Amino acid sequence: MSDLPDDLDMLAAEYVLGTLEGADLDRARALESSADDFRRAVARWRTHFLVLDDTAAALAPPPALWDKIEAQVAAAPQSAQRSKPAEILAGLSRSGIWGSLKFWRPAALAAGFASLMLALGLVLQLQRGPEPPIHVAVLTTGQGKPAAVVNVYADGTTEFVPLEAIQAPEGQVIEIWTLQNPQQGPTSIGKLSSARRIRLNLENLRKPEANHLFELTLEPFGGSPTGKPTGPVLMKGLAIKSI
Amino acid sequence: MADAMVPMTIEQALVACAAGDRAALKWIYQTEAPKMLGVAMRIVKRRSIAEDIVQDCFLRIWQAAASFDGALGNGRSWIYAIVRNRSLNVLRGEVRSDLVNDMTPLVGASDDPSPEDVLLQVSENAALRRCLERLDAARRRIIVMAYTEGLSHGELAARCNVPLGTIKSWIRRSLGALRECLG
Repeated sequence: MSDLPDDLDMLAAEYVLGTLEGADLDRARALESSADDFRRAVARWRTHFLVLDDTAAALAPPPALWDKIEAQVAAAPQSAQRSKPAEILAGLSRSGIWGSLKFWRPAALAAGFASLMLALGLVLQLQRGPEPPIHVAVLTTGQGKPAAVVNVYADGTTEFVPLEAIQAPEGQVIEIWTLQNPQQGPTSIGKLSSARRIRLNLENLRKPEANHLFELTLEPFGGSPTGKPTGPVLMKGLAIKSI
Repeated sequence: MADAMVPMTIEQALVACAAGDRAALKWIYQTEAPKMLGVAMRIVKRRSIAEDIVQDCFLRIWQAAASFDGALGNGRSWIYAIVRNRSLNVLRGEVRSDLVNDMTPLVGASDDPSPEDVLLQVSENAALRRCLERLDAARRRIIVMAYTEGLSHGELAARCNVPLGTIKSWIRRSLGALRECLG
């Protein structure tokens, strides 16, 4: 039923069943957002198992639930998630403290650390070159969920590896930024219509090092009109030296 | 919100959501929210938490509708994957610590139908039912309980009074048999 190797199709099956834990779960999530054939296998298993979801009792939601959803939806930009980080970012850009640690709420830091431990495993699995990356940035969403990894190799090659599927809405683009120092400000290093593994363009910049910030924002088609981030933040993370 | 605007299928509604049509989201809510609540409830066993999950799911559906890919599967399977993932994350304590604090374990809530009864509600024409019925009863139970109640290996082992390693290998072999049967 699948063009995938048996073990990956079984991983997909257990992922859909919901019993995966720890490193296996992380691996399945990473594959789901990066590998088309795995995503197809997951979708196939989901389609089969959907008949079991249909056996759940239909429960009438309280009338107020739709009102809450409507209010939330009205406040939320589509595909771009959360407008709040964007406002924070815009504010920080203007005041020139874009990289300020105040930007990171303590909860996000804790979540970031947890996801970092998780992502270190992923980094080892995802990088195929003979040399391990010398710096790694784990990019997390506003909720602290790991969404991508940036690997920096000794020769300066820097690659972006998504862990979460994202798609820019029609007429918009996902722009990747780095902040090496506050004086210079954020610099665009790549644009995407959907998250996929790419090599980043750091030609006119220094080799990334610890505490350089990587961030993805949603921008108008063609990229930010100002050359600086203007749209909502999709994910962000600081580079750290890999062990 | 004229009736003429009401989409006919979940897939059409998702496309409309991606284009910013809130009426389409409401239509999905009216069509699917009760079942979504039921699916979340079976997993988290707490009404208020299940309602929060459904609320989060609709925000997610709204924001991610553009990433729905009809070539991969139908719209309902996409929506229910969101409900299940969100419910499992809450159950496993990956999100919302305020909710997790309220998650005292509710082992085998008595009003849950048995896995056998669950399977009887599935259409006899469904390939999954046909293939599950080929497994022996104990293994079939485990697959159905794992999926519908979101039980972990450890919880399944405790409920079935079987060692953890046995549960893991039963699941793997059962899924292998399903894979062959589903073709």
